[in-house]
Order: sequence, then C-alpha cells, then structure tokens
Amino acid sequence: MPPEVEGTGAVDPFLPYLATIRSMVDLTPDVKLMGLELDDPAIRDSFDYRPGQFAFLSAFGVGEAPFGLTSVAQRREGLEFAVRRVGTVTSALQELEPGDKVGLRGPFGNHFPLEDYRGKNIIIIGGGIGMAPLRPVINTILDRRADYGDMLIINGARSPQDLAFAPEFDTWAQAPRTRLELTVDRGDEGWTGSVDLVPTVVGKLKPSSQNAVAITCGPPIMIRFTLAGLRELGFADHQIVTTLESKMKCGLGKCARCNVGDKYICQDGPVFSFEQISRFVEQF
Amino acid sequence: MSQFMSGEDLRSWLGNLAQERTLIAPIRSDGLVLFGAVSRAEEIALDYDNTLLSPKGHLFPATDTLFTIERREGGIELVPASVEGEAAIFGIRPCDALGLRVLDRPFLAEPADALYQQRRARTALIGLSCHKASPECFCTSLGTGPDDPSNVDILLTGAGEGYIVQAVTERGKALLATAPLVEAEVTPPPAPSPTPVPTEDIAEVARRAFDVPYWARLADRCIHCNLCAYVCPVCYCFDIRDHSYMGRMERMRTWESCQSPGFSRIAGGYEPRDTKGARLRQRFYHKLLYMPEQFGVIGCTGCGRCVTSCPVNIDIREVISEMQRLGASSAS
Amino acid sequence: MEAIERIRDKARELLESQAVECVIGYERATDNVGARPLFAYEPGEVARFIFDQTCHHNLTRYLRDKKDRTVAVVAKPCDSRAINMLINEKQLERERVFIIGVVCPGMVEVGWSRPSQELQPLCRYCRQHTPVVYDFLAGEPPAEEPEPSPPYPDVAEMEGRSVAERRAFWSQHFERCIRCYACRQACPGCYCTECFVDRLDPLWVGIRIAPGENEMWNTIRAYHLAGRCIDCGSCQQVCPVNIPLMLLNRKLGKEVEELFDFQAGLDAETLPPLVTFKKEEKLEADL
Repeated sequence: MPPEVEGTGAVDPFLPYLATIRSMVDLTPDVKLMGLELDDPAIRDSFDYRPGQFAFLSAFGVGEAPFGLTSVAQRREGLEFAVRRVGTVTSALQELEPGDKVGLRGPFGNHFPLEDYRGKNIIIIGGGIGMAPLRPVINTILDRRADYGDMLIINGARSPQDLAFAPEFDTWAQAPRTRLELTVDRGDEGWTGSVDLVPTVVGKLKPSSQNAVAITCGPPIMIRFTLAGLRELGFADHQIVTTLESKMKCGLGKCARCNVGDKYICQDGPVFSFEQISRFVEQF
Repeated sequence: MSQFMSGEDLRSWLGNLAQERTLIAPIRSDGLVLFGAVSRAEEIALDYDNTLLSPKGHLFPATDTLFTIERREGGIELVPASVEGEAAIFGIRPCDALGLRVLDRPFLAEPADALYQQRRARTALIGLSCHKASPECFCTSLGTGPDDPSNVDILLTGAGEGYIVQAVTERGKALLATAPLVEAEVTPPPAPSPTPVPTEDIAEVARRAFDVPYWARLADRCIHCNLCAYVCPVCYCFDIRDHSYMGRMERMRTWESCQSPGFSRIAGGYEPRDTKGARLRQRFYHKLLYMPEQFGVIGCTGCGRCVTSCPVNIDIREVISEMQRLGASSAS
Repeated sequence: MEAIERIRDKARELLESQAVECVIGYERATDNVGARPLFAYEPGEVARFIFDQTCHHNLTRYLRDKKDRTVAVVAKPCDSRAINMLINEKQLERERVFIIGVVCPGMVEVGWSRPSQELQPLCRYCRQHTPVVYDFLAGEPPAEEPEPSPPYPDVAEMEGRSVAERRAFWSQHFERCIRCYACRQACPGCYCTECFVDRLDPLWVGIRIAPGENEMWNTIRAYHLAGRCIDCGSCQQVCPVNIPLMLLNRKLGKEVEELFDFQAGLDAETLPPLVTFKKEEKLEADL
C-alpha cells in the first residue's frame, strides 16, 4: 500500500508509487512509448483505470507532468504512456532507459463513457500526440467489437513519420466494421495517402451523425475546425466528446492550475462533451 | 463578568507558551509587521493593524518540501516530509482566521493535503479582535467581523489595560488552563465598523458580468505581478517541481499566481488564457464564482491586503462594485 | 496655466483628433491619497487626469503592451529616459508614442491611505527635472538642473560599510523577498519575453522562495539592468517588503557612469556600453 501519513492513517496524495521502466520504444522522432511496471505487487494488482484517465509521471530530480494512460487495463500488459518531448519533464523522461525508476501518481480524472456508447457508431478523430488517449478507446472497442457499431478512425499528423501508432494500424484497419483513414500535413516520397488537414478529411468523409459519437483529441486549432465540421454534418454537441489538455500540478483539485470556469480539468474532466464545455463560464 | 488578562500577564503567558510550542506572532522589523516564530514575548508586536503578509504561510508555506528523493543502491526511496511539534499563531485577525477556514476547503477535501492537514491540526489559533477598521477593510461583507470568534481557539479583545479572553474551543480552554485569568467586570469597546462592499449574490452577478469590456480595461492597468496572490490569506494556487542541490533531491511546492506568465501555459506553448483581461479576470472569478461553485465559500475575507499592496490600485472593492453594476445592467 | 490643465487639454485634443488610441496618465487612487495609472480612450475621460507629487508610477512600462497602437503617455523626466532606452533597444517606435512631458517636482513617499510631504530619497538625488524627450511639455522647466554632489550619496554610504556589514544587510533584505516579481513587472527595462527566472530549461534559478534563490533573483536582475536602469525607482516603490533595490541598481549605474561616462536613456542613439563591443577595446583590468 502507499505510504501512510505518520499518525493519521491517511495517504499522502503527493507521494508517487515507484515504477520500473520495462520498455522504451521510439514511436516518432519526438514521441516514445514508455512501458511501466509498478514496483509494489499489491498496487500493481489493484491499479485499475479506464480510457481517458491520466497519471502523473515523475522524472526524479526534475519534476512530474500529467500523461494520458494509453494502455488498456483489461489487457494487463503493463502501463503505457506516450511521452512527447515538449518540456523539461518530458525530456528527462525520454532520457531514461528500461530498468530506470520513475514515479507514478494516479489514475486521475474521469474517462470516456464507453459503456454509454454501446451499439453506437464511433468516430475517432485524433491529431498528433492527441491519439495517445484515443488509442485505449480504440483498443477497448476492438476487444469488445460486438458491443459497438461501425468505427471510423481518422488519424492525422504533421508527417508520415509522426503517425505515432503506426505499428497498430494494420490491426485497426483489418478489424471488423472498422475503417482507418490516415492523413498528414506534408507527405514524403513513400507516402501515398491523404495529404490534408484532419478537419478537411472529416468534411470529405462526411460520417453520419445518426446514432453516432465523435471522440476527438488533438491540437486546439484542429479541435476548433473539427468541431465546426462535425456540427455542419449534423452532430449535436452532446455527440462530440474530447479530452482537454491543461496545465496541471496536482491532479487533486487543489493547485487550481487547471481551473477553467467552474470546472477543474483534473477532477471534473479531462473528458467532456462539447455540450458540457459550452456551459463552462470561461471558454478556452 | 468576563475572563480578563492584563497586558503584562498576556506577555508572560505567551512567553511560557513559546517555551512549550512554536509560537508564531507578529514581529515588527524594518518598519514592517510580519508573522514569525518568537522565542520571547518581548519580540511580539501588539500595536499593529494587521500584518503585511497573511499567516497562511505558516500552514501553506511559500516553499514546502513534499518529500525527499533518495537514491539507494539499485533504487529510489521517497521519504515523506513530516511535521513535528505543536504550534500556535498568536495575533491572528478574524479575517485571516476565516482565510484558514477557506483554505481548508481545497486542502482538506479528500484526499487531504497531508502537510497542511498535519500543520492545521497542530496549530492553535489565538485571535486578536481588531481595535480599528482600516480604510481597506471589509470583513463584515464576507461573513466575519472585527471581533468574530468563530474561526479561532481563543479570542482576545483589547479592553482597558488588558484583554477580554474568550475560550472558544476545547483546545483553547486547554491552552488557557495555566493562564493568569481573572474574572472582571469589563465592557469591550464597541467593535469598529468597516465600510461595506456589495457582495450580495456576487456569484450570480459574476455569471452575468463575465463577458464585458471592463476586464480588458482593468487589465490595461494591471502589471501582472504575483503580489496580490502572495499577500492574500486565501489564494492557494501552487507549483510543484523538483529541486536538486548538491546531490540532494526534493519535491518542492511553492506559491504560484494566476497572474504569472506560465500559470496556464502548457508545455509546447499553448496559452489558453491569452489576453491580459482573461488573466486578470481569472483572479476575481476564481474567488467570487468558481470557489463558491466548488466549495460553497467566497475566496475573499475582506482583509484588504491586495487593496493596500497593489502597485497600480486594482482594488477588489471597486471591482466587486463594478461587477454588481455590470452584472445588473446586462441582466436587464 | 497649471500643468494638469495643459495635460488634460492636450489629451483631449489628441483623443478628439484621433491622433492616438489612448492617453496613459494618472488619476486619483481609491484611497483618495495616492495616484494610479489611467488609460483614457474617450475625450470625456480626460477630466479624471491628475498630476501631482504622488504620481510615481513609470507609465512607460505600458508602452510595449500597446506596441502596435499609437498612444500618448505622460512622462516625468526619469520616465522619459525609459522611452529613449526602449527606442534604443528597438522595443518602441518613436512615431508610435506621443510624449506629454511633465516637469517634475519630485515624488513624495506616499503609502496606502498615508499622505506625506516627504520627498522620496531617490528624488533628492535627481539630476533631471525636465524630460529628456517629449512632444509637448507641461510645467515650467527650472532655469538650471541641480548637480547633487556626490551624485550617488546613498551608494557611497553603502560602499563605506564593511563586506560583512553589506553581506548581513543584503541577506536580511533578500530573506524577506517573496518573489512576487512586482519589481520586474513595474520596470520598463524588464521586458524579456521569457525572464531568466521563469525559464525551466536550462533552469537558472530554482522555484524555491528562499534566501539563496531570492538572492540569485535580485542580483541577476540588477546585473541585467546595469547601464540600462533609468533611475525611476519603480521597483523599489512597488516592493511589498521594502527591499532597497535601487541601491543595487544605482551601484551598477554609478560604476557604468564612472567607467563609461554613460547614463541610460539620456538620448536614444548612444549604444549602452554593456550591450556593445568594440574590437579595439581591451580589458585593462588586472585579472
């Protein structure tokens, strides 16, 4: 069990679990997939999480930062995080190697309500590292394929080599009632696929809003235009769901860094429908 | 009849208290009155309006070690910080005592902030009623008052040559067990009356005053320093990073302010609150709308510190009045 | 005509003719004692302008916020030096700012709700009572500028103390620092897009609000202003814990003046000595 606060019986919520890096795989030039195993067997067995939840990873000596869990708990293949080099913590984490220790606090936040989506057609729209929190959504649906309707996955990136989860594309594309559309901002000599912005691809494919849910994550500008495109296709705001990235320091609703309007992204989110977001006092 | 302690007896009681626990009290130095640890009663200032900084730093320090990180052979060990010994804050004003009650909401909400929780449990609050209302004070508009005993263990109210002593809690009674109290027929002086500020329905009003040009105009003047947040008894935003020095690693928590440039900017550079107006508005909305929504309390106690210390006179009393006007007019 | 009438008339004229988007001046603060900045956008607002010995803010720190607009600013002599400094450092275009210069009687030491007739110490050593650059001048310039001798009596006093005394003096002051950065935010010369103290990679100064970091912060900031500080005293004025920051800035100002015969912002053309390098210059110091 996590260490107790002396004399109180309570657990110090800032104290991370220790974990050992089991794998480090280059996904793109700036993204690595980090596989972790929690050191304490009791915590390892009880650590449960859902797609959309996140955890803080510590690079000891530098600090910690929040990352979406990109693995699926039920697969019991260890905890996976896609770490993109954007700041000091992510750079330090990328320097680590299998066998090294990191800290982990979590899981935090709400999750994509996949149980509510049973029987619905699912449209997954991800840009860049925004695919990381969507990957467990896709894989959970694939593991229970019969429970869901058709799935359309639109995955965009700056360039072909920035498509982070390429090793899984064949599995996704070949799954029943599943279509995978890839697009890049700039192609290269080997690229024969679409060279278009994600919102443009959405506009071209025109997914039906009938009995459908669109789940999107990516850079703010992509989200803005994707949202406009989906609304044009008849999607109501409650049918469009995203996960908000935000500055966070504690994950406990205390540091107030992720406060947006009357919501705390770390506790009320990070998953929100645009119907919920439209009711925020402050619009990001 | 009231319980009463002379000024001289108060000092000797405080002197004894300082021997048995950490005593935090107002100290005057370089012309400033600040809370600090005292070892002798003579160091304590008794003739002050209020301290420059609120006492929050003694429960939520400006810099706090959450745990130390020790490299052991083949691994890492995390050693939690611990809080030792009992403490008392003497001279806390009712507004600042309310401030701690407000801080309890985020910090004691499950899962409780361990260090804050321990310090809070081990710190007795010995309040001192206000003898005057400074021009910037407006505590009575925020549910407390110059002689409000409700958020302290003991309340002292200056009267004549000494103090009327109210033991408010069991802890307060225990602390007073050895105090040289006498029964006396003393009338407390009338409580001063701070100028009221229109805080009625402020959260509702705030909803209607969000999208108005006022915020951009106000932010013209704001220089976006962290001063208001750091003097505030309630502002509790913080930052967490590791600190490495000479091979020693610690996870640090420090005060942070919503006015600082990196407050909401995420790694990679995206800044969701990208105008001066949005940044400044966040300060007031967190206090006047979001905290009421989340915790049921207003994030302001009317202490007036931000009013007196703002370099450019961003005056929350004026802001609240302006919000009332703007919230009312856009509703009609 | 009183200086304030001339300021208001000029401000009204500039706003009515739409020569500027706004006029940045002073109005009375809510304590009815001090002053605060006022951004007037409408001719109807100019009646709120005041100018007296409580108007200590250096309003030129706002000019970069309004970089893409044309604005007018009320500038005291020290403030006017900041305008030259900013133009010199390519932070400001001269034609985008209309300078309403004011002859300065020196500022008094006002605190919140606390009127005072006491001249600020810095103003006692002032050598410019007339702005060094302006488009319009309010007030009567003095026949000649005073020459305080020595020009840095405060610094000289400090220099007379022992190293141990100075060490103790600054330790005591820096210990109180809460790193609120009001000094930086009030300073017209502190405009780095990313201040060294906010930079995480590389991390120059840790985030602790503690003596070591506080000392680093305050001394590095002073060095960044060496030969650039225009002596307005805003940093010290806004410091909530009364750190005598101008002693540091003026020490460096004194060194620069003695070594290079240079004072920042007296004109917009002379390159500040510490941001220039001449090949023919050799270090003569005995290192």
